[in-house]
Amino acid sequence: MKITLTVNATDYPLDVEPRRILADVLREDCRLTGTHLGCEHGVCGACTVLVDGEAVRSCLMLAVQCDGRSVRTVEGLAGADGGPHPLQRAFSAEHALQCGFCTPGFLMLAAGALDADPDLAEHPERVDSLVGSNLCRCTGYAPIRRAILRAAEEQQRLDLQA
Amino acid sequence: MSTWTRREDERLLSGRGRYVADIQVPGCLDAAFVRSRVAHGTLRDVDCAAARQVPGVVGAWSAADLHDLPPCAHATADLPDLPPMPHTVLANLSSDEAVAGREWPVLVKDRVRYPGEAVAVVLGEDRYRAEDGAAEVTVRIDPLPAVVTPEAALDDTVRLFEGLSNVALEGSTGQPVDESVWQHAAAVVEGRYRQALLLPTPMECRTLLAVPDGDRLTVWSGHQAPHRLRRELAAALGWPAERIRVVVPDTGGAFGSKSASFPEYVAVAFLAVRLGRPVRWIEDRLESMLVATRGRGQDQRVRLAADADGRLLAYELHIDADVGAYPHIGAGLPMQTAWMATGPYTTPRVHATLRSVLTNTMTTYPYRGPGRAEATMALERSMDTLADRLGIDPAELRRRNLIPPDRFPYETPTGRRYDSGNYAAALDLALESLGYDAWRAEQARRRADPHALPLGIGLSCYVERSGGEPGGLHEFGSLEVGEDGVITARCGAASSGQSHETVLPALVAASLGVDADRVRLVDGDTGEQADGVGSFASRTAQVSGALLSHLSALLADEARDRAAKLWDLPPETVRWSGGTVHGPHDGAPAMDLAALVRATGPLRVDDRFESAMAFPFGTHAAVAEVDPELGTVRVLRLVTVDDCGVVLDPAVVHAQAFGSAVQGLGQALYEGMCFDDDGVPVLTDGLLDYLLPTAAEVPPFVGRDTCTPSPATRLGAKGAGESGCIGTPAAVVNAVADALRPADRDVLQLPLTPERVWRAAR
Repeated sequence: MKITLTVNATDYPLDVEPRRILADVLREDCRLTGTHLGCEHGVCGACTVLVDGEAVRSCLMLAVQCDGRSVRTVEGLAGADGGPHPLQRAFSAEHALQCGFCTPGFLMLAAGALDADPDLAEHPERVDSLVGSNLCRCTGYAPIRRAILRAAEEQQRLDLQA
Repeated sequence: MSTWTRREDERLLSGRGRYVADIQVPGCLDAAFVRSRVAHGTLRDVDCAAARQVPGVVGAWSAADLHDLPPCAHATADLPDLPPMPHTVLANLSSDEAVAGREWPVLVKDRVRYPGEAVAVVLGEDRYRAEDGAAEVTVRIDPLPAVVTPEAALDDTVRLFEGLSNVALEGSTGQPVDESVWQHAAAVVEGRYRQALLLPTPMECRTLLAVPDGDRLTVWSGHQAPHRLRRELAAALGWPAERIRVVVPDTGGAFGSKSASFPEYVAVAFLAVRLGRPVRWIEDRLESMLVATRGRGQDQRVRLAADADGRLLAYELHIDADVGAYPHIGAGLPMQTAWMATGPYTTPRVHATLRSVLTNTMTTYPYRGPGRAEATMALERSMDTLADRLGIDPAELRRRNLIPPDRFPYETPTGRRYDSGNYAAALDLALESLGYDAWRAEQARRRADPHALPLGIGLSCYVERSGGEPGGLHEFGSLEVGEDGVITARCGAASSGQSHETVLPALVAASLGVDADRVRLVDGDTGEQADGVGSFASRTAQVSGALLSHLSALLADEARDRAAKLWDLPPETVRWSGGTVHGPHDGAPAMDLAALVRATGPLRVDDRFESAMAFPFGTHAAVAEVDPELGTVRVLRLVTVDDCGVVLDPAVVHAQAFGSAVQGLGQALYEGMCFDDDGVPVLTDGLLDYLLPTAAEVPPFVGRDTCTPSPATRLGAKGAGESGCIGTPAAVVNAVADALRPADRDVLQLPLTPERVWRAAR
């Protein structure tokens, strides 16, 4: 089936089998391997990407469902100045990753939330539920929570300055 | 300050990490395995004919198909029939005797011995095609009764191997305790503890990509011990090891589970060579839950005796270990528990006995803290039972028995020589950090209030062993200086998330007195480093770190020698400072490393460096609140005090210690495999059937450390990262027991599910 995915603002005209999941098409057809598969049945969240700004498990979505839609993956994550995104810097600063395999999923989950919720820094309980929706086996989660809050606070400061 | 805390971070945070599944090789085939749905049975027939007709399927084979392969004429001419699994006999942990006659076939030949054991393999142009093919393979297996626990397997009424006992290994440490000791002791407590089978569950499952090129093979695998994998694959293929290169790219966690060869690895390497095409196997999560290695799996029986003052007199531990269907390293892990049975106490008489029992489950293997976690759980639970019996505060009971600092090195009755420790200091810091007295007061208040939820405080003093066993305490490596002055460090380690690229170059730089920017690390590649041991048993800082420190000293010596020759000076007059060689006095010649290499040629030092075992220790403490009506446990506070000697990078060590403690929490409260009546794991809801801790379960936490350097290792470092899996579970279980004070503490078996807690509260 012929579809067009817009991934990180680049159009990918593709011919894909209808049964192929979005994660596989991103990884193999678009060669964007930053999206990782941890369970392939929607539990771990490692494959989380943004589809039209909303966080989805890309193992639970068919690529054909995303025809004509906008997909954002970890490769498209960048700060306003083109440098590292505040989340990327905060994850590094807080040791919010060790092996790094689950990291793209947490980053995209948080990136979606930061975009949708400018007041995230004021609501740590919202950060709790975000972090609680994905699995990580290395960090024990607390560093991830701190990193997301840190990035949210930074974004809030920038918004205030603007 | 750099944007990135670790060198690994930039690529891992921007989607540019490179895990095995990310590596693109043109023409690569995907492997899918057809697996037994029964735990135990006789294989009657495997028919792959229909699978071979599926579009995109390149081939499908059972063991019988591969047995009859005709010899090949080209580079694969020396390829044998599908070989059995190479077995690893490591440093007393397992033995040839345990393995003899119990061959682990790569594909089932006649008998299925664990659920999910592979009976056929299908190669497809992609994973979808391979699975299409696997669905068309028909398999006929006549089920046999399955034995799923040591208790069921012990009497040999159902044997996994005809003519051989299910008991693969028996062992003991220490001397039997005379009956009079038990008879005359003021208090003797007994306990029976079941250590559940655990799934290590790294977020990346197992991976292997095999790329043949002429008479050589390059293997990419998320792995902890690439040189071991190379050796074992070479043995399986009947090749010299030099023809195989194993590369470990980014690896998504391991926790002990990725240090071996597995049947799937051998099948993939064999078929890649056979077909002359790249083949990969990217394990999926359901496969991993069904057939990846499990940790723990011990049924323990203990007796602990003390005098009226609480001085420990004797400790006896018996283990029936569930080692799975084929004896592998896991068959020897109960010996680790036996060696560590003494724990941190001065108990004069300790005797541990064990039987490693084969069962119809996937093979048991190391999982973070193997052997030591089980030893700590048995002893620390028993200490709390004893404290209760004697009416002595659990902290005080421990304090009276901890090995004092002036007794090190300490020879235990179970054959260990502990290098150094200040166990009481760790206990005191844990109590202080917890606010022990305040929590005891709160507990008393609640006990007086019939409406308050019961609250308990649990302690766990542990001592572990790091570095490995004699025969495996060395590492190989080199330092090489380029004409640009860049120093490349190579060693046999392999990272699966432990920050080697950051920590080890920093260590070399500090040893040489140069900027860390000038040093880069190459590890996890047998093509770059001819010999190596790997990263397991918390050995990298302790053993590879010692090696790199040693190599740094060799490099400085070599630089001084060369400068002395160049300047025609006595070598002892040339000084090394800040990456530069200097003549004997001010105004004498000086030359930095880069210039020295340009003047004197390539500079490289290689060596093998022998380290020693070390014994990290600590105290963990937990406060838990229990709802007796719901059987739920809420951990209100978790404190860990760990001592791993000299720490190379505190932030990295603390991050690992915390993650480890959260895994320990999972071990205590959530994680365990469920089996149906026929021994097949119940996985109807996939990963939701194995409860990993999520962020919602993480309790308020305080992590502290003390530092008692190891006199036995070059850097004074001991292993880090396993402490939480060893110390935390017993602290949590003891807290729950302290809250409920059940008449029979053995009701509280792991994991502490709501049902078990509810029963204990009745």
